[in-house]
Amino acid sequence: MVTCYLPSVEMIQCRWCQAQNQPGSTSCQTCGAPLDERDKVSDSGWREAPRLRDMTEFQFSGSTCQVEGELVPVAEITLHPQDGVYFEHHVLLWKDESVPLSSLNTGGGMKRTIGGMPHIVTVANGPGRIAFSRDAPGELVVLPLHPGMELDVREHAFLVASHSVQYSFIRIKGLVNLLHGGNGMYIDRFITTGAPGMLLLHGNGNVMQRMLAPGEKILVEPGGFLYKDSTVQMQAAQMPLKTGHFRHGMYLAEMTGPGRIGIQSMYVHHHSD
Amino acid sequence: MNTYICRYCRQPSDPQSPTCPLCGAPVDIRSSVSDSGWVQQPPIKDMARLQFGQSHVQIAGTTVPVAEFNLAPNDWVYFSHHTLLWTEPATRLTNMPMRGAWNRMMAGMPLVMLEARGPGHVALSDNHAGEVIALPLQHGQQIWVREHRFLAATGNIRYDWYPSDIWYETGQDSNDREMHYPMGQFGDVFGSHEGPGLLLLHAPGNAFIRDLQPGQSLLIQPSALLYRDVSVRMAMHLEYPRNMGFAFWHNRWSYRSIFVRLFGPGRVAVQSVYEAPEDTEVIVNHSYATTHHW
Repeated sequence: MVTCYLPSVEMIQCRWCQAQNQPGSTSCQTCGAPLDERDKVSDSGWREAPRLRDMTEFQFSGSTCQVEGELVPVAEITLHPQDGVYFEHHVLLWKDESVPLSSLNTGGGMKRTIGGMPHIVTVANGPGRIAFSRDAPGELVVLPLHPGMELDVREHAFLVASHSVQYSFIRIKGLVNLLHGGNGMYIDRFITTGAPGMLLLHGNGNVMQRMLAPGEKILVEPGGFLYKDSTVQMQAAQMPLKTGHFRHGMYLAEMTGPGRIGIQSMYVHHHSD
Repeated sequence: MNTYICRYCRQPSDPQSPTCPLCGAPVDIRSSVSDSGWVQQPPIKDMARLQFGQSHVQIAGTTVPVAEFNLAPNDWVYFSHHTLLWTEPATRLTNMPMRGAWNRMMAGMPLVMLEARGPGHVALSDNHAGEVIALPLQHGQQIWVREHRFLAATGNIRYDWYPSDIWYETGQDSNDREMHYPMGQFGDVFGSHEGPGLLLLHAPGNAFIRDLQPGQSLLIQPSALLYRDVSVRMAMHLEYPRNMGFAFWHNRWSYRSIFVRLFGPGRVAVQSVYEAPEDTEVIVNHSYATTHHW
């Protein structure tokens, strides 16, 4: 009897998305996070989202995404013929002429608007190249979704999602931003069922993520909330503070674990209904 | 004994530490000084900690940095409510009693000063790409700061505000009169009178500092001034460029550049993001100003 011992290959696990990578890789193949930089986690447990190096590439399904620029980054996607992505129509930066576009029925009718214009979600299918960016300094947050995940994202933060991710949105009352007040915001919900998917967000300023234990609470400025696992409960918490508004108090978003939450350090006000 | 004076906060510091424990400025890099003498304020290193009392603040992020306070029991800081990013339920937030009629607005909305008391964490960030500037203040030291640049201060720092006294008025017709405050209507003055304290500002863009000698003067864009020593005086300065085009009589009085003139001695800091005055109406009245017609 001959016993064979195969040499073990020590893979590098990405600390952001937990994907396994080949030894010697400098960036994660699944989310683009640098593998050769130390973690940046603050004393209170907030992990900085990995800052993607200029021209980093990563894969999802059969397609490739390349991130360009470091101030207002662009996500340039080379779509495989079998792949598609969807996005809010105003974040499209450029595309190959041959890439077909269609609109996604979001079920919201004409109720949701942004800047007074209808909220339209567009679908692009491969093959071909297409690029996206938002309109403020910040960073791309790459969130690979495993089957069976649900993620909630604040309005105006979603950049692009792969076709295997289901999309819907709801409106929540009472939360927008501490300075501008407001009577509510939309929350985009992304769900994966039988297949993995990819979700790219644009966070304004810097993005930080934290895991909340079951029952653990944190109070977040509503404009700073970026995303959360759907297992995290979010509700408006009125603070016993005078704000100068006669009719309204000061409200923070109370987040209760378990699950992860992501915040952005800058808020850009968009008028939406 | 080796005494290292931090080049940026001008306080005795630790040369063995990678960053100054009082202001977070890197210790191990050489100064970047422009040909004209402006020293670039280096950004606080990501995740640097600044100590104050029994507490510390950690600066996280490089585009819109977050000041994350870890407050020891009975330590407290105060800040404008619109900079609050997150807090823990255990951290006590209360309205800060303000002397006089503190009535500050931003984007048409009222601002409210809050206190956060430990034990607990609270995090603050401004809303522009830029830098957090840490100014440790020794006992008796005062600093003037442009309005809306203040991020947070430790509880032992006294806060006062005064009219900026830099203004001009436009509108030929009494019904069209409009007041303008190129540096904001008020200036904030922070002073440490109960031992050393820490003042945090947020500067949109990049920040640059320089020292003015006694009698030395400098012209800058008014809204670019970030802070100055209280020993530095200010006055408005109006310059009217030589007119090379048509409508001579109109351009002569309405096409003008508005500066603020700073007089030393003392330290001044500017930020590279500013709001240029948008109006081009004839100035009919103004605070004390020097004038030059080219």
